[in-house]
Amino acid sequence: MTQLSSLLTANKTASGLRFRPATLIAISVILIMSVVPLFSNAYDLTNYRDVLLFGLFALSLDIFWGRTGILSFGHATFFGLGAYGMAVSSIHFGIDPSYVSIVGLLVGISLAAVVAALVGYFILYGGVRGDHFTIVTLALTIVANHIAIGWSKVTGGDSGLIGIPPFSIFGFSFYDPMASYYLALIVLAICLFSAIWILNGRLGLILSAIRDDEVKAKTLGYDTKLILLITFVVSAMLASLAGALYVTNTGFVAPDMIALLLSTEVIIWVAVGGSGTLVGAVIGTAIVWWLQQKISSISVTAWPIAIGSFFIMLVLFFPRGPGAFVLEKIKAFQKSREGNK
Amino acid sequence: MSAYIPYFLNSLTLISILLLVSMGMAIIFGLMNVVNLAHGEFITIGAFTLVVVERVGGNFWLALIVAPVVGYIFGLILERVLIRRVYGNALHALLMTWGLSLILQQVIQLIFTANPQSIKGPFPGAISIFGENYPAYRLFLICFALAVFVVTVLVFKKTKFGLDLRASIQSPEMASVMGVNPAKINAHAFASGAALAALAGVLLAPLTAVTAYMGLNYLARSFFVVLIGGAGSISGVAAGSVLIGGLETFLSYQIPVTVAQAAVLILAIVILRFRPKGILPA
Repeated sequence: MTQLSSLLTANKTASGLRFRPATLIAISVILIMSVVPLFSNAYDLTNYRDVLLFGLFALSLDIFWGRTGILSFGHATFFGLGAYGMAVSSIHFGIDPSYVSIVGLLVGISLAAVVAALVGYFILYGGVRGDHFTIVTLALTIVANHIAIGWSKVTGGDSGLIGIPPFSIFGFSFYDPMASYYLALIVLAICLFSAIWILNGRLGLILSAIRDDEVKAKTLGYDTKLILLITFVVSAMLASLAGALYVTNTGFVAPDMIALLLSTEVIIWVAVGGSGTLVGAVIGTAIVWWLQQKISSISVTAWPIAIGSFFIMLVLFFPRGPGAFVLEKIKAFQKSREGNK
Repeated sequence: MSAYIPYFLNSLTLISILLLVSMGMAIIFGLMNVVNLAHGEFITIGAFTLVVVERVGGNFWLALIVAPVVGYIFGLILERVLIRRVYGNALHALLMTWGLSLILQQVIQLIFTANPQSIKGPFPGAISIFGENYPAYRLFLICFALAVFVVTVLVFKKTKFGLDLRASIQSPEMASVMGVNPAKINAHAFASGAALAALAGVLLAPLTAVTAYMGLNYLARSFFVVLIGGAGSISGVAAGSVLIGGLETFLSYQIPVTVAQAAVLILAIVILRFRPKGILPA
């Protein structure tokens, strides 16, 4: 355990008080988002709030996929477990309304943590990595979706559950769009900065080492399986946190919150921002959300086709993300101009 | 005793279905090591070939011949244009084929609408076996799946194509020195996988709702059949199908079907923990 707790210390020599560019971008993103309510109406604000929570969801995937290089197709399962955990415990059990949101949050997050720990233990300790990991997590989402639809007594089946109360704590209800917006922003900011702080430290270095060569990292004395498992569970818990908060805003839960398409979309959000950049996941979510509004207003079927085409373009033209692609082009352009002088 | 006969035949039916849908997967994923998430859509394309053939006045038997040809040509084109660029990079193959799968689903739905298609299967009646009536089509499916399996194994073990394929997977360089063209072999192997999936689609169509998303139900299961059976061995597919199909039928007699499917997945994950290379590794 001493080895693990030492992982939480920041890498002082490398970072010090000097901020990395990514940290500066993260600070400016959060600052910009905190003044947005001054310039927007209540309806837009509820949309932006959903984008913030989806950004948190994307961040959760980026912590695992971006840093370990192992792609999870199952993150919608954890988002959905958070959402259904919150919905089922606030509707079915008649808990005192003053602390029902806290109970729902805890139920959702613990469900996700337990499922992630069990699945993660069996496949990560079984040595399942890379594409096989992705397939197992893909199947996990399909099964979770089947259960959400099939177990209608508890989950409401195809139509889901309605009547989830807005998030409240100690009698204060975040019913007002402004209040729920800032709740989402504060949660996102805390998670984003903690993730940046922790992953810029030793843990981030070790995860990079595992991604590059797990055997070597193991030989250096790190329990790579345990570190991967913990990262996976934490990532799943963040996803479920996003899901649980999301349903307190919408007031309902439906099986498409635990479906394969959502797992796919979150991959796109992270990929657009550039995987592994953390703040990129949040920016990517906002960009893709904006595009989705534009494309879906033309035709509903156009959106899945757009996602599909994006995946193919991602592989063929910009495997390191559109951001890196543009940066490389700019650099190449600058070099060629310098060369001409 | 006679109560066990429909039970036994039901598990045989599911095992045959899994065997059919996984055989193409065993070639593309198991042998060529390409993670093909569009495999389910190859199955869908097969089923929709049957729909089209019946609409233009043909019957089931004609579709059984046409569908593999359609699948083969489709696979050949796809390999040339896209898949060839992602050999050796599992993540890229995965993302690309997933994109392809989303596009195919939507295109099929745009052409044929979201409603389940109506099709006419052969053999509407039932056959009496040991005093129990059992749908004739299912019995045909069991025999046909077995025949397809035997033929596929023979092609891989006994023909020059099978030998060339196994050689070019083991060592592409050595194979090309011996006069085999790995690029050509890969293209034909991928196309054969697609053809087998399309064939499975035709055979499945009379038993399920034919929609643009039907393939998705079989995608994860066929991956598991190949993983559990042992990637890289064709006979492993039979072992995987028997295990997963048998278990699922057994469990769905005891507990609700969705829970049974979940339980089988969990079991598969547990098996992977202890036998990461499958139960019958190559």
